[in-house]
Amino acid sequence: MEKIKLCCARCGFTIEEYRADEIASVPRKAKRYKYLLQKSSICPSCLASGRLKEVRVMEEAGPVAAPTVEPKSSAAPVAQEEHAESPTPMMDKISEGAWPSHAAELKKTKYPVQMYEQALQKRSTQWGYGGYVSLPGVAAGVLVRASARPDLSKGSNFLRIMDPCGNFFKTDAMRSLCDIADKYAYGLLHLLSTGGDLEMLGIPTENLKPAVDEIVKLGFDVGSTGDDFRTSEECIGPGKCDLALYDTLGFREAWYKRFLDDIQYPRFPHKVKCKFAGCPNDCVRGAQKADIFVCGVFKDVPTIDQAKVKTWIRKGGDIVHACTRCPGGSMSWNRKTGLTIDADSCMHCMYCANKISGVRPGGERGVAILVGGKMRGKYGPMLAKVIVPFMKAEPPDYKEVFDFLEKITEVYDEHARKKERMGDFLLRIGINEFFRLVGVEPSARLFGQPRANLYYHWEPEEIKDERKEIKPATQEK
Amino acid sequence: MPGIGIPPLEANLPPILKRNYGKWISHEHPRPGVIKHDSENGEPCYTVRAGMPPNARVSTQTLRKICDVAEEFAEGYFRVTQRNSLEFVGVPARRIDELIARLAQMGFPVGGTNRSLHNTVCCTGYLHCHLAATDPPAIMKAVSEMLLKEFQNDCLPAKLKISGSGCLNNCGEASCADIGIVGVHRDLPPIKEDKLKGCELPLVISVCPVGAIRPKGPGMIEVDPKRCIHCPACSVACAAMAPIGSPDGDGVAIVVGGKAAATGNGPAIARVVVPYLPNNPPYWPEVTDTIRKIVDVWTAGARQDERVGEWIDRIGWEKFYERTALPLSFKVVDGYDARALEYAKSNVRFRW
Repeated sequence: MEKIKLCCARCGFTIEEYRADEIASVPRKAKRYKYLLQKSSICPSCLASGRLKEVRVMEEAGPVAAPTVEPKSSAAPVAQEEHAESPTPMMDKISEGAWPSHAAELKKTKYPVQMYEQALQKRSTQWGYGGYVSLPGVAAGVLVRASARPDLSKGSNFLRIMDPCGNFFKTDAMRSLCDIADKYAYGLLHLLSTGGDLEMLGIPTENLKPAVDEIVKLGFDVGSTGDDFRTSEECIGPGKCDLALYDTLGFREAWYKRFLDDIQYPRFPHKVKCKFAGCPNDCVRGAQKADIFVCGVFKDVPTIDQAKVKTWIRKGGDIVHACTRCPGGSMSWNRKTGLTIDADSCMHCMYCANKISGVRPGGERGVAILVGGKMRGKYGPMLAKVIVPFMKAEPPDYKEVFDFLEKITEVYDEHARKKERMGDFLLRIGINEFFRLVGVEPSARLFGQPRANLYYHWEPEEIKDERKEIKPATQEK
Repeated sequence: MPGIGIPPLEANLPPILKRNYGKWISHEHPRPGVIKHDSENGEPCYTVRAGMPPNARVSTQTLRKICDVAEEFAEGYFRVTQRNSLEFVGVPARRIDELIARLAQMGFPVGGTNRSLHNTVCCTGYLHCHLAATDPPAIMKAVSEMLLKEFQNDCLPAKLKISGSGCLNNCGEASCADIGIVGVHRDLPPIKEDKLKGCELPLVISVCPVGAIRPKGPGMIEVDPKRCIHCPACSVACAAMAPIGSPDGDGVAIVVGGKAAATGNGPAIARVVVPYLPNNPPYWPEVTDTIRKIVDVWTAGARQDERVGEWIDRIGWEKFYERTALPLSFKVVDGYDARALEYAKSNVRFRW
């Protein structure tokens, strides 16, 4: 059986390998293979960056032997003893106080503390260039980081582990993760990165593969680096919240089942972050951070339990103030009729449901889909834009929503430039063009406000006689 | 080998949540740091929320202690929230005091619910990043220390979220926090000619937001010093243009008024109010003083449930600068893109 290996051009480290027939028959792998060939990558072994070299080898068919990774101690992040014992005045200062300190935590691990201490003393970071790499069979989830101070640390690799639903951890699972972190890494965990993953820091290159294997054996998985779907972030939803408008945790589980290949095999123009919020309170900050944001919405007016509202007022709730804070000005309170909400001006923003006990979000629930939120990209922070104001989210497979997400990524994949985030792509081609490409119907709920200037483009095909009065009856005869 | 996806939902969900999945009807805040949820079954669920070390960096030693506490009080489960705080769910009502005392003994303050300072979020900064212009974990430690009273008591007009990013990449999501700190560089990126061979030059040129990088002869590029906005885009794309920054060039910008929820005035991106403050480890007094000033003025002037951004929308930037006495600079209205004029005022509805 012929095998195709993609190796580092400098040291020959195998980054990824495929069967030759796989590339011919599986389009996803072919796409990935083509992508890797064109891309400049960083070798996890020697940290050289550049194009990969293709090596074809004949191997006997049979059980695939575990790929051997050449032990290479050069990138091993060894904390050097003499530095670990040397004084760390800055870190000592940060360790003091009533608030738990990260500096104190660092000192309990094998993290090379002098790297942090020196950074604080010199007022600039001591780490060097880094990036995403692949291991044989592990396309995403591994990051390397070089060191600008080879005397203190040789560099440090880390793994991104996709967090379990709702960021809940069973203690057995967490203890096993701790064991892996102690055995292979610094013994330092980043419990939740802002992207929603768990990061295990400081794994020597030769231990990356064994560490991944152990993590997978434990039931966790790595991923979420490079130009693919990043780990989703989702709110706790129906698990522990009375406001959730759809099952965010179930939705997330189904999303992972459907898109796992796109999560673990980078192939998009740039990263795509998906975030799922159960209601417009948006605990995951999807409006700002998500390329694709699925937000729970409802259409009916919030329901009011007058008796409960009265109990809430008796306990000290300020109903008059709550009415003034309603952004639509649609709540009114009267001792006789109780609390009423005007259906026309209600924005369904959840303020009343958040604050007043007895008011709950109304029926006719579904999801809205927003695209293009980002924190940086090329043109700075941008809020996500509505592309679908309402869609039913039907468990268990959420087919309608997921098909639509796939359509968005197809358009993005085909039309966006390399390293162009969804928001920058929208800014370049224009939101109306994006609506046309994805194929959505115009709706007033898609518009923030119509344009003020009158400079727009018409296609020749759109020009026709649109007068109503003309009845070409005579011509027909 | 990967390919198994995330653990199933049931594997890590506490039994009390499995029993009441989707059946919750209301929530309340009985005391700071504690949330009570009621379900249709009549089963109350108490959650105790505690602060965490900045950046949620925890050693395995501490994590095992947290696991012990979770096994003792919360049936062996704990949770990390979206704002990096630690939550124990399903704590029996009679054991809440005991749990709070136990957490205090371990050095974890309990709070961060309702109208208080919520736990801070930040990126890794100097801990593990080559782009960092400042060290948000250390700043967040100093800020949390300063606002500990606000974290442990419901004494603010509305919730207050403070986040920090080490550079303009904004991994620490400063732009969606009420008060954010962002590390800024002020130097030009270096061009290390020997390393330039490993770079994809067309990509490096195209990632620059302002077109300040242009080709200069075969295999060589140059940076236009007049145009450069010191974002680390090229440093990410090419090892030859990293690291950007210097001890005196790097510093901190302060942004205010970000918010995600649809309530109030809707989601908003934070605006820059202070374009530069120097790095001053380990406590960053200039930064913490500015944040203290903004928090104090906001607490004194805002109505109940009015987040920082909504308060500024109501009183206007004139009054904001007047009350906080922050130094003014045209850098806060300077825009390099097509939306530049948006930042200038186009009406005469002044507040005097």
